[in-house]
Amino acid sequence: MDQTLQHLVNGTVLGGTYALLGIGLTLVFGIMRVVNFTHGELYTFGAYMAYALVALLQLDFILSLVLATVLGIGLGAAIELLLLRPMRRADIDSVMLVMIGAALVLQNAEMWAWGGVAKLIPNPFPGEPLVLGPVSVLPLRLFVLAVAAALLLGFWLLLDRTRFGVAMRATFQDPETAALMGVRIGWVNTATFALGSGLAAAAGALLGPVFIVSPTMGDLVGLKAFAIVILGGLGSLPGATIGGFALGYVEEFAGGFVSTEYRDAFGFLLIILVLALRPQGLVPAKERIG
Amino acid sequence: MLRLEAVSAGYGRIAALKAVSLEVREGELVCLIGANGAGKSTTLRAISGLLAPGAGRITWQGETISGLAPREVLARGIAHCPEGRRIFPHLTVRENLEMGALLRRDRAAVARDLAAMHDRFPRLAERSRQAAGTLSGGEQQMLAIARALMSRPKLVMFDEPSLGLAPSLVDAVFALVAEIRAAGTTVLMVEQNAMAALRLADRAYLLETGQVVTQGTGAALLASPAVRDAYLGGATA
Repeated sequence: MDQTLQHLVNGTVLGGTYALLGIGLTLVFGIMRVVNFTHGELYTFGAYMAYALVALLQLDFILSLVLATVLGIGLGAAIELLLLRPMRRADIDSVMLVMIGAALVLQNAEMWAWGGVAKLIPNPFPGEPLVLGPVSVLPLRLFVLAVAAALLLGFWLLLDRTRFGVAMRATFQDPETAALMGVRIGWVNTATFALGSGLAAAAGALLGPVFIVSPTMGDLVGLKAFAIVILGGLGSLPGATIGGFALGYVEEFAGGFVSTEYRDAFGFLLIILVLALRPQGLVPAKERIG
Repeated sequence: MLRLEAVSAGYGRIAALKAVSLEVREGELVCLIGANGAGKSTTLRAISGLLAPGAGRITWQGETISGLAPREVLARGIAHCPEGRRIFPHLTVRENLEMGALLRRDRAAVARDLAAMHDRFPRLAERSRQAAGTLSGGEQQMLAIARALMSRPKLVMFDEPSLGLAPSLVDAVFALVAEIRAAGTTVLMVEQNAMAALRLADRAYLLETGQVVTQGTGAALLASPAVRDAYLGGATA
């Protein structure tokens, strides 16, 4: 029982950042119909930027995470403007190839800039775990969970409550009619890709201090982000949130009770099961019209 | 007010419009009639900027607007209510109406217009917080029209507003279009229901394979044997 509670806490922390990753990816797919292979690299980028700002420039920890996210938004905007916008009328295969190429370039750039040796990001939180009854959790992990929850909530409010969010959802449902209402579709695309990238960078900056930072850290995470999105239903925002937490719990519980070595494999096993039994995903995206 | 001069447009290699010229004057209700594929919808799409004309010129209040983005055309006072209603099914009714007023910055006036729409369409007021996709076909058409009006257009273009509606609702839609014109908004309407459209129209253009073949007052076209044979199926007026 005690162990169960502990895994539940750990799974929630992990799931929160997975949800951030999934939402960023599913949003880009839902609005732009782009399969974003650079997503995992943006995660890596966020982690390295946090490292550079905290460890090298010795900036304030929280300020560094904010700046790393902002830089991720900037890199995402640059990718959209330089690579995707000129390919607006290209077929999905060509766009996919370009994104795979961009991911390779980004990964090798990280390798070139930082070397292959993993880095540690120092954090200002006490190293002693907080003990609450049977559960102990590092303050850093609580901080990660709180920030991830705040970002999820903020993102949901942005989509649900603001004019920009309504325009974004309208574009998701019917881009042509949204254009007739005065939405700048090109701008919505840039903003979507930039925000999605920002969420990936934020996840990387948040988890960087929890784990270690290496040029290939985005590989598995990118794959997991796809798994989360497919699990939840491609293009579905609630699905990506639920999928993120589901993957976090499955990994944590399978890692704890079955085998630590195969914890990642259990996540993918879950995807296979969901796809076999419910191919549309847990929460299918609302279908497009027109 | 709006003038098309020898406008040609197409999709890829297919020429959908071949040198179409037409005019809409302030306060008029003008109809485009013709068979499927005659180029009626393409004409509206060229005007609203969804499709850039390959040749020719579109002018609005003396300014050339051909090639402008839809947003720019809308900002100049031309709203396009597209074929098939095209409401945003997963936005609420209210969000759909707000999308219509997206370019307007005068929030107080938008709120007043929203209230006026709710008075005019009580069903939309009742269902304000419901997803628009849950409305009936007739209600969706009313929403699509109301959404187009939320931009406070000088000219509103309706593409097949009666499409797929029950006969009683068809009459209601045409009555609404007449009401909009009576309130001072210029109307350009595409309709396959030529009989009803011509009765309503001040003037009309008959399109065939991308070209204007006949034009005149609604009454004149209604009386024209060519129009009656081809498009009214010999029905009695």
